Amino acid sequence: MNNKPVWEAVRPYVMILPAMGGIILFVIYPVIYLVKLSFYKYNLMNASKSKFIGLDNFKQIFSREDFFSALLNTVLYTVGVVVLTMILSLLIAVWLNRKSRFNAIVQAGIFTPHIISIVSIALVWMWLMEPSHGLLNFLLKAIGLPTSQWLQSSSTAMISVIIVSVWQSIGYYTLIIVAALQSIPPTIYEAAALDNASKFKVFYKITLPLISPQLFFILIIMTIGSFKVFDTVKIMTGGGPNNATTTLVYYIYEFRTNSIGYASATGVVLMAIIALLTFVYFRLLASKVHYQ
Amino acid sequence: MASIEFVHVTKSFDKHVVIKDLNLKIEDGKFTVLVGPSGCGKTTLMRMIAGLDPQTSGSVLIGGKDVSRVAPGQRGVAMVFQNYAIYPTMSVRENIEFGLKNNKVPKEERTRLVESISATVGLQDYLDRKPATLSGGQRQRVALARAMVKKPSVFLMDEPLSNLDAKLRVQMRVELIEMHKKLGTTFVYVTHDQVEAMSMADTIVLMNQGQIQQEAPPETIYHLPSNLFAAQFIGVPPMNVGDLGEDGVKFGFRPENAVLSAEPGDNHFSVRGIIVTREMLGSETIYQVRSARHSFMVKCTEDLFTVDQEVCLGVKPDKMFFFGADGKRIERDDARFDGYMKALRGLSHE
Amino acid sequence: MRYISELRPVERTLGFVLKAVVLAVFVFPFLWMVSTSLQTFQETLAFPPTWIPAAPQWINFAEAMSAGPFLTYARNSVTVTLSVIALQLIVMIPAAYAFAKYKFAGKKALFAMVLLAFMIPGQVTFIPVYLMLADWGIIDTLLPQIIPFMSSAFGIFLLRQYFMQIPQEIIESARLDNASEFAIIRKIMIPMSMPALATIALFSFVSHWNDYFWPLVMTDSAGVRPLTMGIAVLRETEGISNWHIIMAGNVVLVVPILLVYAIASKHIVKAFVYSGIK
Repeated sequence: MNNKPVWEAVRPYVMILPAMGGIILFVIYPVIYLVKLSFYKYNLMNASKSKFIGLDNFKQIFSREDFFSALLNTVLYTVGVVVLTMILSLLIAVWLNRKSRFNAIVQAGIFTPHIISIVSIALVWMWLMEPSHGLLNFLLKAIGLPTSQWLQSSSTAMISVIIVSVWQSIGYYTLIIVAALQSIPPTIYEAAALDNASKFKVFYKITLPLISPQLFFILIIMTIGSFKVFDTVKIMTGGGPNNATTTLVYYIYEFRTNSIGYASATGVVLMAIIALLTFVYFRLLASKVHYQ
Repeated sequence: MASIEFVHVTKSFDKHVVIKDLNLKIEDGKFTVLVGPSGCGKTTLMRMIAGLDPQTSGSVLIGGKDVSRVAPGQRGVAMVFQNYAIYPTMSVRENIEFGLKNNKVPKEERTRLVESISATVGLQDYLDRKPATLSGGQRQRVALARAMVKKPSVFLMDEPLSNLDAKLRVQMRVELIEMHKKLGTTFVYVTHDQVEAMSMADTIVLMNQGQIQQEAPPETIYHLPSNLFAAQFIGVPPMNVGDLGEDGVKFGFRPENAVLSAEPGDNHFSVRGIIVTREMLGSETIYQVRSARHSFMVKCTEDLFTVDQEVCLGVKPDKMFFFGADGKRIERDDARFDGYMKALRGLSHE
Repeated sequence: MRYISELRPVERTLGFVLKAVVLAVFVFPFLWMVSTSLQTFQETLAFPPTWIPAAPQWINFAEAMSAGPFLTYARNSVTVTLSVIALQLIVMIPAAYAFAKYKFAGKKALFAMVLLAFMIPGQVTFIPVYLMLADWGIIDTLLPQIIPFMSSAFGIFLLRQYFMQIPQEIIESARLDNASEFAIIRKIMIPMSMPALATIALFSFVSHWNDYFWPLVMTDSAGVRPLTMGIAVLRETEGISNWHIIMAGNVVLVVPILLVYAIASKHIVKAFVYSGIK
């Protein structure tokens, strides 16, 4: 009976131990290990022959053109995806906001690509974008527009990848915005109607400010998500043509076996970027709480 | 069956002391009601008996045995919560059985107990229903059955009637009194409603700010409140209180002990005033009378006056109370009592 | 305050047509995938395109499946996905209960660590995790696709939230009924949180069934690879222009998810909205 309080004091820690163990082992420790690796010239065959080289990997990163090209591609991709997804999902959400059976079906349809593997999405779109037999070029021709090389030209590959990503994620963000829109109490709109406000003014002065916390939030998770883009690029273009679609994670992936130290250092840089974005996210979150 | 004893009990939450050095004995087999305003510590006291929030220091005894280190489930107590705390995913039968199963009661015994208890509370037709399909009153009965079936030596109830509508509440009050008579177990009942306390209790423990103000049967607490707080907490409307203007002493009388008349009577305490409000409640009428210095509530069995009418308010000397500057009631055989009585006479002529 | 009469019939019809077009943009590619998977090679090259194949070519599926050890891939996908869900639930339930219902020193900091872990993506940690698992000598097994996901930060967060909403009195009542903490979790908390657990399990199912990056960087041999990888390499093994075969393989990958979505679309939608809103 006497050791009961002891057990009660220890019990919470025992219960969270597996969860915390998993997090420490597979997230926290690897991050530390990653930082350590970034200071080494790592030998995969014989780890004991690895050499500490200080900041050399980082010096190399910031003096290599291909890194900056990958960074630029990632930024381009991110800006493209974020801007397009944001505008389109906001439009569609406002459009489909009213509760009706058909709107629900359309929402479910738009959302479907989000739960399908990126592998399938990429393959279907490669087939659609196939330059000589693909459906997209057929449709363009049918309505008298010039066709495109889509993924196979370095000038259109990036925008093609962006289109596919936007297509896949619009449904998800539409859902979140619709949820936000529907949480606005209808009495506010009734009050605005009594005040004789125009539709545009209601949207601009009432709806938008009220859902701005969610929009900020979406903006940030979209940005972080876009910065880690890999799967689409790997399957659809393999970083090409001419490295036109090589993004940061793809860049790291390519170095992962031959230059582990260098790949790790690039990973650290990616982590720093994501941390910065996360920091911004938390700052915004704080203002969101304040806002409400 | 068991008595409950608090010995020098202190309870604090995060360094905030809620109950300090409290001593109390709750008698075996009695229906004891802990009553007081919200935050007075009555629920804290009950939860210490249950062992849900054990005391910070001191000891709690059940049946003379120190249970400070005994887990809630092994103290032989049962508790009925305000929101009933019924397990929503279990049927009525499973709800009632849960404690028995945990105590490894054999199946036949369990079935027999569940059947007999559910018959007692009138739930025999609902045993296989889910709680969500039951009415508020029926859920209340599930909670009671679940407590009764364990044959606890102490029965704890935390505002069990406050979620019921007014009519059902009155009915359940009677049922709880009968249940207590039948079981003969120690009942501890927490409420903020003094009507519940007065109507059900063998003993009322009146609390305020973590301290016991008075511990007595309902009659005593009503007729001989030990202090100003008890006088004003018990009774609807509460006791009228006014400044005597001497030593910081206050006088007081109950609303039903004042007599209203159109002409001055020969009462010991008598003031003139105007009727400000009138509440007609059926069998009685409550007037608010404003005099030069005070405002009094008066409860009459007859409805003889109207608002704005000038009246005389009189109180007989044996219905008067005095409270010292410390709030304590001044006994009738206290040396100062007659002096204050005289001073009161002086006030009358205003 | 919106009146039906505000919209004239013309506008309503136009709106309906426009919505149907938008719906088509998102649904048609999947129908096209199915159609292609049943076409002959000649039909895929035809101009104008073949919308509906003359005779469904079921043989395409057989051919796609013979291009690699697809039975193994499918078994791996199922094993990995179900193991991840089971492991996550076992790890998450006690943790969520402790975070929701117990007071203990360091709770806030530890919970912040869970949320922090949520922010660090596998794309950052995969190199060190691979080296670590290689050290353990388990790279050629399914374990690298399972155990790194044992702690689902999203699941712990959501379940804790759900547990916190369960009234404390119900737990206290159970304690007075002499139930052990284990019994409280098993007989009260779990039955009461079934909706949340279903949501979490479905979210895990979708994420891990679809995962491509992690198996790609964690596996060195075909024997431990999942369907996603098998389908992705179809393009290389089948040649670049055999789209009917590639689409057939693709259908095999998509159908299980679509089935689950059809059965539990509400839960899945909720899961994703939660995972976003937190």
